Amino acid sequence: MTKLYEPSLPKLMEAIATEAKGMRGMDRRNFLKGGIAAVAGLSSVQMIPKANASANLPPNLPEWQSYLGRGVVAKPYGDPSEFEDLQRRTVPWLTADAASSISMTPLQDLEGIITPSGVVFERYHGGIPNVNPDQHRLIIHGLVERPLVLTMDDLRRFPSVSQIRFIECPANGGMEWRGAQMEALQFTHGMLSCCEWTGVKLSTLLEEVGVKPEGKWILAEGADAAGMSRSIPLEKALDDTIIAWGQNGEALRPEQGYPLRMLNPGWEGNTSVKWLRRLEIGDQPWHHREETSKYTDLMPDGRSRRFTYEQECNSVVTSPCPEKPLMQRGFVEIRGLAWSGRGKIKAVDVSLDGGVNWQRTELGELVIPKALTQFSLKTQWNGEPWLLQSRAIDETGYVQPTLKQLRDERGGWSIYHKNSIHTWNVTESGEVFNVQIT
Amino acid sequence: MFKLPNLAVAAAAIVLAGAVQAGPLGIGSTATPEMIAGWDIDIRPDGMGLPPGRGSVAEGEPLYEAKCASCHGLFGEGEGRWPILAGGEGTLDTLHPEKTVGSYWPYASTLWDYIHRAMPYPAPQSLTDDETYAISAYVLYLNDIVDDDFVADRESFAAVKMPNEPNFYIDNRPDVQNTRCMENCADPANFTIVTTINGVTPTGHFKEDSGVAANHYGDSEPAVKAVEVAMSDAATAGKSVYDKACQACHGMGVAGAPKVGDASAWVDRIQTGMASMSSNAINGYQGPNGVMPAKGGNMSLSDEEVSMA
Repeated sequence: MTKLYEPSLPKLMEAIATEAKGMRGMDRRNFLKGGIAAVAGLSSVQMIPKANASANLPPNLPEWQSYLGRGVVAKPYGDPSEFEDLQRRTVPWLTADAASSISMTPLQDLEGIITPSGVVFERYHGGIPNVNPDQHRLIIHGLVERPLVLTMDDLRRFPSVSQIRFIECPANGGMEWRGAQMEALQFTHGMLSCCEWTGVKLSTLLEEVGVKPEGKWILAEGADAAGMSRSIPLEKALDDTIIAWGQNGEALRPEQGYPLRMLNPGWEGNTSVKWLRRLEIGDQPWHHREETSKYTDLMPDGRSRRFTYEQECNSVVTSPCPEKPLMQRGFVEIRGLAWSGRGKIKAVDVSLDGGVNWQRTELGELVIPKALTQFSLKTQWNGEPWLLQSRAIDETGYVQPTLKQLRDERGGWSIYHKNSIHTWNVTESGEVFNVQIT
Repeated sequence: MFKLPNLAVAAAAIVLAGAVQAGPLGIGSTATPEMIAGWDIDIRPDGMGLPPGRGSVAEGEPLYEAKCASCHGLFGEGEGRWPILAGGEGTLDTLHPEKTVGSYWPYASTLWDYIHRAMPYPAPQSLTDDETYAISAYVLYLNDIVDDDFVADRESFAAVKMPNEPNFYIDNRPDVQNTRCMENCADPANFTIVTTINGVTPTGHFKEDSGVAANHYGDSEPAVKAVEVAMSDAATAGKSVYDKACQACHGMGVAGAPKVGDASAWVDRIQTGMASMSSNAINGYQGPNGVMPAKGGNMSLSDEEVSMA
């Protein structure tokens, strides 16, 4: 066991300074921050691990190896390690109230393409309803031969599919239309998550109710306080919409619509109505609040686009990023994510000089339509400043545009669907800042 | 005509329903007209879904002031970051577009649908059809869309035309075309690098010298939790009512609402006595320090529930 002792404050500060000498950059500052926080906390329990970190390093026996660990089912549903700090975060001034707001996924801390259910970004229009699945029903009615009411057990009897698909809020990056504003990847791109979803294809349910020939649109409605509602064209419903109850191997999380949600792959997230209680088939769209007042795109001529469903091809470098600066000179793997609402990612290029010259990257093993796709460029960094960018191309041949191209066409007030090439300024110290090149 | 015993009518109906219901997989039950009627609340621009009933601008004014103004402002100007409902005409093609019901919304039906389905914010689907007509009429009046003698009903409401309706068009993306240039694609001499403004985003979770904490809405919880520690049964019941009905304004300080845990804001109010505070919470308050709608805009709460909270 570690020897317990209570050092005097000067001795502790000296120990922290000694430990910090061997470090550089953010690592060193983070260490100092931790040490100083421990002093401020006036807790010897907090201080000792900081001051004595080397006690667990070779050649010493690590403290955790010197006694028995926790046994099975001590935590029947496990937690991440206490040393991890994986959490959704928000920017409180963006909205008036937490029940009608947004939080972002910590993309800077994630591995691979699957977003853990607990940190999938949140967007509510009236908070999370506490739905009892035994008392939840899906009603399908309107222009149908056989209006149906379905229980959760009924729904699970239908043929099911499991698909890995991203969900993105169309306002992702929307705070950056008129200038660089957010100082972290989590806030510039974190309204984005990717999960495996399990459910029944909506086309299967529509066969069951029998859509009448004049049926062209579907109103999807949630059981939340906002009664969230969107009009979905029948073509999408017959193409790839699923009605999902599963997420990453378990039931949907309440935050993602427990017990039942719509999922419109590749389309703006709000169309994937959560806590789904009703589908009405009609001959025209409903033009509800979330498809007129909101989620329409104002253009410079004062006119607006509506039913801007697709999330166009986009990408971002996730390492390095403001939260994950470069710590060491020499070899570095530049990593990032690309996605397209129109299908598969075909290629991703990376530029180190603000888009003057570009290099091809290697895609990850899983290249799935309408899912996050990894890319990687192995290179060297020797302290030179970078203007680091990524540019994705999808299977339709669409090339992710520059910010200037988007602004020239759409101005600065359309809020939604900003999918332009993003720029990180990597400085000589390895720190990373969000910048825009105009 | 001949008469059938009631039982036979019911049996015939079941046979008929069974014949209609046979979907390919035969899963699920028939959604009855009664079930559908209870949930089918949507309204369309062609008037489909608008119920019988009526409400005038004059009837809408006191309802709006009691149930809507604490967030949206007495004239629809919006409190804090709550939505602005009125004004903004002629601003959509300027550098400061203001998107309101009058300047932006393409259809009046959306107003009726949304007010009925989701407003007042803490008490959705609590308004009667007549109240919804009246408040919708008043919001249209605040935007100079209708005159002060307008009475909204199924016919008159469906006939309202919104000025911005012609200015919406179907998504025409992809609207920009980039090319996959690999070398000498831009001239760095033309680059202007625009940096972020420090301090507008929470960065405390990764920067030690940030003036802004990595805060999230959850950070306001401790003030409430501290209250929870020594709560009586009555207070626990009050907490549940608070969470459902009061927190939206008193958690954020909307419309001058004193925040939970803000001792200085509450001290003068506490000195007026519990009876006075309960009375304000039940009947509403309008004064120099702010406005509070009666029962926080949630008339489904009993007086007892409000007092406990």
